Order: sequence, then structure tokens, then C-alpha cells
Amino acid sequence: MKIREKPLPMTVLAGFLGAGKTTVVNHLLRHAGGRRIMVLVNDFGELPIDEELIATKEENILTLANGCACCSMGGDLYAAFSAALDFIPPPDHLLIEASGVAEPKRIANFARAEPDLAMNGIVTVVDALNYENARSDARLSEILKNQIQTAHMLLLNKCDLVGSQDIERHKKALRKLNKSAPVLTISNGILAADIFFGIENPMPGSNPAAENEHHHSHESNFSRWSFKTEGAIDKTGLREILETLPSSVLRLKGIFKSLEDGQLWAVHKVGSYVDFSHLTTPDNFSGKTGFVAIGLSSSNLTEIMDKAFASLEE
Amino acid sequence: MSAITVFSAKKIITMNPARPTVTHVAVRDGKIIATGTIDDILGWGDYSLDDSFKEKVIMPGLVEGHCHLMAGGIWKFIYVGYQDRVDPDGNDWPGVKTLEDVQARLADAEAKLGPDEPLVAWGFDPIFLMDRRLDKTDLDAVSSSRPIAVMHSNFHLMTVNSTSLSLANYVADMDIEGIAIGPDGTPNGELQEMAAMFPIMRRLGINFREVGRSRESVIDFGKVCNRVGVTTAADLINDLPDEDVAEMTDITNGSDYPIRLMSLLNGLAQPAEETSARALELKKKCTDKLRLGAVKIVTDGSIQGFTARLRWPYHYNGAPNGIWNIAPEQLNELVAILNEAGVQMHIHTNGDEAIEVALDALEMAKIQKNRPDLIHVLQHCQMADRAQFRKMKRLGVAANLFANHLYYFGDKHYELTMGPDRALRMDACQSAIDYGVTFTIHSDAPVTPMAPLFTAWCAVNRLTESGRTLGEYEKITVAEALEAITLGAAATLQMDHEIGSIEVGKWADFAILEDDPETIGAEKLKDVGIWGTVLAGEKHKIP
Ligand SMILES: [Zn+2]
Ligand SMILES: [Zn+2]
Repeated sequence: MKIREKPLPMTVLAGFLGAGKTTVVNHLLRHAGGRRIMVLVNDFGELPIDEELIATKEENILTLANGCACCSMGGDLYAAFSAALDFIPPPDHLLIEASGVAEPKRIANFARAEPDLAMNGIVTVVDALNYENARSDARLSEILKNQIQTAHMLLLNKCDLVGSQDIERHKKALRKLNKSAPVLTISNGILAADIFFGIENPMPGSNPAAENEHHHSHESNFSRWSFKTEGAIDKTGLREILETLPSSVLRLKGIFKSLEDGQLWAVHKVGSYVDFSHLTTPDNFSGKTGFVAIGLSSSNLTEIMDKAFASLEE
Repeated sequence: MSAITVFSAKKIITMNPARPTVTHVAVRDGKIIATGTIDDILGWGDYSLDDSFKEKVIMPGLVEGHCHLMAGGIWKFIYVGYQDRVDPDGNDWPGVKTLEDVQARLADAEAKLGPDEPLVAWGFDPIFLMDRRLDKTDLDAVSSSRPIAVMHSNFHLMTVNSTSLSLANYVADMDIEGIAIGPDGTPNGELQEMAAMFPIMRRLGINFREVGRSRESVIDFGKVCNRVGVTTAADLINDLPDEDVAEMTDITNGSDYPIRLMSLLNGLAQPAEETSARALELKKKCTDKLRLGAVKIVTDGSIQGFTARLRWPYHYNGAPNGIWNIAPEQLNELVAILNEAGVQMHIHTNGDEAIEVALDALEMAKIQKNRPDLIHVLQHCQMADRAQFRKMKRLGVAANLFANHLYYFGDKHYELTMGPDRALRMDACQSAIDYGVTFTIHSDAPVTPMAPLFTAWCAVNRLTESGRTLGEYEKITVAEALEAITLGAAATLQMDHEIGSIEVGKWADFAILEDDPETIGAEKLKDVGIWGTVLAGEKHKIP
């Protein structure tokens, strides 16, 4: 039973205390591009979110208190999620700023289980300055490792403050813990909203200007790839392809007709996470089917994607 | 000058070493003006004698130092626990001993519900999970059309029927952690942790926070306390928005409300400075019967849920270490800010690593600013070793030990979570006494049932559910246990100058007992009959 008309996409922003989660949130709110974003704050240790960015604080920021289920009966979690889901006007996106000691997967599981939420990925911020230090604290090393391992995208923040050798060393360490998640090097929490929240409009053709054209975002060198297809697609084959794409493909979204059941399906991928869902209410659906991806432009995105999807069409 | 009422009793246990037992207590304006024999009291002038307790034993009103308002509201749902229980209105709920009993209890309740009401039960005991687990087919047999949810006693698990599953679209294997799959490859109805339970709870309207803060819950909570001789109880975590404070003030002010209620502000729901400011603001709203201003901080999870933070050698069965709710570094900051501001803290710490981290934070805060006016308390404090008790003593930190765990979870701690060494010293009341640490013992109701005399029995006998004695050395005497559930608890709530003993100047808050806990025998301590209580001189007989 769905209570909302359309599931609310939810992204978990994880990362240890001081890694710069709030800076990322502030930047995303500033560059939300018309998206109505609801932020659920679970971390009270970082800098507060810029109040100017929030029309009325009470309305767009909810807080999620920590507590042991044995003492709160999970009441805090219940209250926070139901407030976000019942909020009027409904937000376009739910962003959870997880506490520095939270296991992001536990939070992300809400989105996977709740029909009115759509899981949009776990993004973990890692502090390039303090990473090694934090990892050496035995009381925290497991949780930090968990935050890195369960991420679908890793943001190595504060890269302007460390040398390139350090960045490479950290990247290597992160890849050792998580092979599938792309590692983006950023500074001051600056990251394109499309990369964080996913591609706004998955239907190629609805924005002709962007179609089949390399698009350079203002923050960094990301390119966009799109592919239009009317033909029915083998879902199992598609999953295999998506799961083997290199981590330089940051996000992918698409709508297609399934070969198995002839019905319309939506697919979205972030890092190693691939999610298929039935397109149940395609009332505003343009009729166009196809895929859009965003990736690192240094990686020859077009080549990679064209090659991957060529095998699909055979 | 208002009148003096003198209560006579077979025996009055005062907890005042200067006059440990007396036969009479005189009350004026809700407070104790004198104790002793009738001759000792005469000098205070005219009095009226109330001898309705002449065959009973009076002791100081019992103090529950850690429980939750939900202990009242939870009875809105159907009880399906293993132990016999009595609800706030005095109805008996015999324990259900087999899965068939559970089904019969549910079918009974189902028949009384309106057409659109879901059937929600609570207290389901893990003892049933030994051989065959409860699943959706058991509940489908009760109703195939009405949504059913059975909450397990630990609040981390629930079992639901097929109707509930389909409400949440749990119809196929979605490979989601916490949604158990049966042999046929579809969800079998067992759901673990909040993420998996939430979609069902949302659609069935099972909102524990709303249930706990409702007016009926606060009222029923008072009844629950009254039934077990409790006259002061601490609700250990609350958001305490203004409207709730207003309602709690209104309810507790009622002369029929039988307890003094302390409610603690959740310290992890806002930045530290805001917590501190709000706590100080709440402190100003205290009344004789509603106590505010202290803060609860939750550091780790629970031992039985394998989420407590343990030091080496960690879990006995090799399970990974537990979770933090606040990073140690952040705790240091929060504790320092609250201590500096003069806010009393109750810090939830189950595992020995959480205890270590909390004690380190308190130590640093006290080095920065000594506040001899404050006594901070480690709540649960289950795995503390003797070095940690020595440190508590050194720092002037008190402990509220979870003695009920010895009985309800002791076997599990011995066999799975801690192993023999640490299980034998868990909830170490004797160590607290050895080092002069102020301590009390608690139920954490509704996690385990509230009944301080049962909790005292646990601390005295240290028997587990299977009958194992969990650590001979840490047993305490009946007298020590009775002090723990009165004066000890009062001290942890910083109310020991007002309650906790029957002494001149304190509130006339009494537990009225049918039997003498000092002579009934250690093994029978939990069976002491309770008539009711007296609060500020007013009688509250159990209805
Ligand atoms: Zn509790
Ligand atoms: Zn607890």
C-alpha cells in the first residue's frame, strides 16, 4: 500500500564527525536547482546548516534524535520518518545527514523497506585531512570502515588542504575497502546536485539540449551520456551490464520496456547499487524510453557506455 | 496550624539508622513531623489516629529510578508475554505458555475489535523462539483479513500476518536485511529492527512515541507505579515539548495522581548548548510532583541486542562490537557543557567500553569544572568492573544497575553475550557497596516489568530464569536492597533530602505492605503483598 502518490527519493549522507557533511548539505541546498529538499539531521556535532538556505527552519529541517531502541522503543526513528513522509507540501527529495557514528546502511534500509520511499544511495564523506587519524582510533575504526564499505559513492573532501600524494594514498585505501563506489575528490563540500541526488529527468529527449552532448558541470569535469531506445530490453542482461560498469560511471537512470513482461520499468544505479522498479503511474510519462548516465569525463564515458549498451542490443 | 495525622502500623521500616523501626509516623501538611512510639509523638500536639495500617508494614515509598511512561501506554495493546501480569486497571493477564495460548489470546482480542482496527500485541517472549518460531501462518489462523502485529518483548522484533505484509508490499523476497524469508521464498512475517518494522507500524498506526506521551499513558503509568508500591518514578527519556510539560504538570497536580514523576530530557535531540539551555529552563518548571531539568544521554545500545560497546575480549560468541549513539569525542564535549552549566546527567551505558568512555568524559568535565552540587549517574552500567566502580567513587558518580537483567537475560549473558567471567559480575551491587558508590537498581519498564521488590529480589538472589546463580559475590543483603530501591534511587535523582526514608522533614510517601520484607525471607522478597501507597499523607489504595 502506497500512501504517497510517488515514492520520495532518499539519500543518506554519512561520514565521520568533522568530515564536512554539513558543508556538503549547505552547498547542495544552495544549488538545489528547484528541488524541494527536506533534510533530516541526525548529527548535532557539526556546524549548523546555513539558516539562510532554509525558508523556515522548522519546516524543512527535521531532527532525528539518537537513542537505544530499548529505551525509546524506536519512537524517534518512527517520528522522524513519518514526519518526512507526511510533510505538506511534499518534498522532492529526502536528504538524511547521518550522525558521525551511524551505520548508514541501517538508515538506508528504511528507504528499501518503505514503499513510499525510494532508495537513492549512500554517499559517504571522508576527511582527507583526518582520515588516517580517525581510522587509528580503535573505538571508531569499525564504524568508519562500515561507512566507507557500505557507500555507493565516496567523497574525499578537503582535497585542497592536502598534497596530491596524500590524495592518491587515501584513494587507494578507500578503493581497498570499497571497490565499486566511485571516489570523487572534492574541496569545501562542493559537488553537483545531479551527482548527489541523481539525474533529475531520466527521459532523454525531454531536454533536447542535453541529449547526446557532453555536458560540463560548473564544479568539475563530469560528462553526460544518453541513449534512446524503443526496443524491449532483457532485464537480467541489463542488470549484469550495470553491475559491471566501472566506478567512473557515477549515476544512471532509465526507463525501458522489459523483454520479460512487456511492461515499463525504471532503473537507477548509484555506485554498485542497482534498483529496478515497476513504472506504475506513467501519467506524466513522455513516452520516450532510454537511459542517461553521468560520469567522470576523464574516463571516456561515451566509449564505456556505448560499448556496454551495444552488447545489450544484440 | 493544620492537623496532624498519625499512622500506626505493625512495623514501620524507616531507612533512618537512628530509628530503624518504629510503630507510628505523624504527618502534617503532607510531610513527616515525627516518628516513634505514640508517646514520642504526643509532644507535637493534637492528632487524629489512623490505624487502618495497624496490621500492615510501612516502608518509604519505593523509587523507580529508570523506567518509561510507555509502561502505562503499552497496555493499549494486547499482552502476550510469558509471565503473569496485571494491567494498570487491575485486570489479570496470565502468561501465555504455548504458541496455541498466544493464538487463543489473540483470537479473543480479535473478536472484540471494531471492523477497521488492527490487532496489535506486545510482550511476546523469546522463550517461544527456542524450537519453532512464530510466523505469519500462526497469525493468519487468527485472522486472514485483519492486520495483526505482535511486538516481541525486546521491541527489536515483530511478527505480522499476511494481511499486514501485503499492506507494506512485503510480498516477495526483496533482499532487505530484517525481513525474514520463509521456506517458500516469501517473507515469513518476522521483521527485525525499525527499518523493516516501520512500514507496518506506519500503516497500522503503531506509534510508540505518541502512545507514550498520551494523557492516558501518563495516567496509566501512575496506576502501574501505585500497584507496585512506587511513589516516585523517573521517566528516562522524553522530548519534553512545552505542550507535554503543561499536560504532565496538569495531570501530576491532580490529588488523585499517586506519584512524583521525574522526566528526563533527551540530550541527543539538539546541539549541546540548546540541550543545556532547555534543561535549565525546564528546571524552573518543577513542582512538588513533577521534576524536570535532568538530561538523558544514550551512548551505546543493549547487551542482549549485541549493540552494547564492549572492551576486549568483546562478545563471547564472537559477534561484532556494538554501536555508538554519540562519538566519544562528541560525548566529551556534551558532558563538559552540561556539567559546566549545572545540569544533571543520566548516561545510558551498558557495555564496559561505553562505561569507560562515559567515565573519561565525566572525569575531564570535572577537571575543567568541579560541580559538587551535581551527582551524575551511569544508567544500566551493567558491565562495570571493580576498577570502574573505584573510578565512579573517585569522581562522585552514581550507578543505576539493571538488576532485572540478571533474571530475564542472565542466561543469555552467561552463554552468549559476555561469557561466565563477565556475566558473574554483571550489575555488581556488592562492588558498588564495597567502594561506596551511590547506587540503585531498576526495571527499565516496559522492557521488564516494574516492581522494585522484584528488582530487589534479583539483586539479592541473582537467579536467572533457568535457575542459575549468577555470581555469588555480587549478591547483596535484603536490607541493602531495600535501601537501594528507596534512598539509593532517591539519591540518584538528587531527591534524597525529600524522599527515600521516613524521617522528619521528608514527604510522607509510603509503600504499604501486607508482609514484612525484612523477615519474609530473601527468596520470597518478590512475593511481598502490596496494599497501595501513601503520597504526601494521602492514601492511594490499589483499586
Ligand atoms: Zn530505559
Ligand atoms: Zn536502554
